Amino acid sequence: MIVDAHVHIGKSTRLQIDVDGEHLVRVADEMGFDKICCTDLTALFYDMHEGNELLFREMKQFPDRIIGYASLHSTRFGTEALDELDRCANDYGMRGLKIYSTPQMSIAEPATIPILEKTVELDFPILAHATPHECEYLMAAVPECKLMMAHAAAQPFAQGDWNRAIMAAKRFPNLYLETASSTIDSGFLETCVRELGPEKIIFGTDIPLLDPYFQLSKIRETNIEPDQLGKILGGNILRLMGLA
Amino acid sequence: MVVDVNAFIGKWPYWPVPHSKFSQWGVDRPCICSTRSLFVHWEDGNREVEAAIKQHPASLVPFACLGTFETSHRAADRTHDLKAYRERGFRGIRLYPQHHSYHLLFEPFIDEICEQARVLNLPVLLSLRAIMNWGVPALDLHDMLGIVERHPRTPWILSGVNYLQEIRSVQVLLRRYPSVHLETSCVMGYEAIQKAVTECGYEQILFGSAAPIQHGRANLEKILHARVNDLAREAILFGNATRLLGLGSK
Repeated sequence: MIVDAHVHIGKSTRLQIDVDGEHLVRVADEMGFDKICCTDLTALFYDMHEGNELLFREMKQFPDRIIGYASLHSTRFGTEALDELDRCANDYGMRGLKIYSTPQMSIAEPATIPILEKTVELDFPILAHATPHECEYLMAAVPECKLMMAHAAAQPFAQGDWNRAIMAAKRFPNLYLETASSTIDSGFLETCVRELGPEKIIFGTDIPLLDPYFQLSKIRETNIEPDQLGKILGGNILRLMGLA
Repeated sequence: MVVDVNAFIGKWPYWPVPHSKFSQWGVDRPCICSTRSLFVHWEDGNREVEAAIKQHPASLVPFACLGTFETSHRAADRTHDLKAYRERGFRGIRLYPQHHSYHLLFEPFIDEICEQARVLNLPVLLSLRAIMNWGVPALDLHDMLGIVERHPRTPWILSGVNYLQEIRSVQVLLRRYPSVHLETSCVMGYEAIQKAVTECGYEQILFGSAAPIQHGRANLEKILHARVNDLAREAILFGNATRLLGLGSK
């Protein structure tokens, strides 16, 4: 089974995206992805309540294909954010949290801690667009949370330094690396597996921002064993979400 | 047949890169430049390329990397002679200002190279970034656009382009100047190849991988699966490069 752990749905003029569930499921069919884990762009960048509800509607249309991440546009909304996570878990059936960090508005701050503690309570893995330094701060504060470093530092705010991401993931048992990136450095996956084992690597594509074919190829066209690939391509994320 | 207009030989100083062969990834004719040219000295790298060509003359295609003659302790005492490079067998030129500490728009030798390249019809590959990783130096997009606008009849291969505003800007140049080409090694966006073909046609798009530093096969997959017709795909993978580099002739 292949599960894409990093998919965006909805609208963003900045990212030049406007896609619905039907489009994404069609892409998943072409790619051979059994399930896609989606985060709504409105929830991530503007209004969590509106965006998460939009995602819930898409989940209802494709219940066997779309797994929802509850998304927060900020971790600075206190109990409003905690209540939203409860709603997403209990009313919408979402299975994880997506949060986004920028150098100008970093999530590596005390306001994020109650959010992480809530994910432990809900048994939510967190897909965090965050740097290795930020992830280390968060893991040190709440070591029992299940944190997936989106892009494995292969993103601009982390200077593409996936070697540094591996070092961080080695320090914290519950810190995982997610593979979506426009970086396709040779040896990336082999180094991750050698240093961390296949259980800590999560496959994602970041569609519809990035081309999914090279994302899948950089995982498959390696010398990684088939059973290890099975964990990376779907087994791990389903385990973290309690769906295995 | 697959021609890769942007491949490398040499070492990568930032992290270990596994040893791989271009043929394993499905690339028949990699156009090579040495990373030694980027990180040590461009002339030494070119000699390394010549040595590699002697070992694999039927597959490798040599590009010469050019940089400054002037150093901190010595003024420039000569100029570039592109005809001499062509006679040495080089099929194209590469420029990496971001690795060689000069400004693309304010170094007279760059204008000389562009003019000679135009006269000789020798392609000049200009990289916005050597690979799609934010840890390596990048050229300012405006510098790339500016030098092309200054020398629009030079046969350009614009490389290392990825972000939406970068691709949109380069596409304007493609439509404006038939001598400008887009190379695909860092084009990672969703359906980006299809969109480029739709907006600019396929005649000015060239497959490149930045392999072996970047994953050669993964880069090829996005072309093989792009929503374009077979004519466009074949042109991108080898037809355009074969014509531009004169690979059918000696």
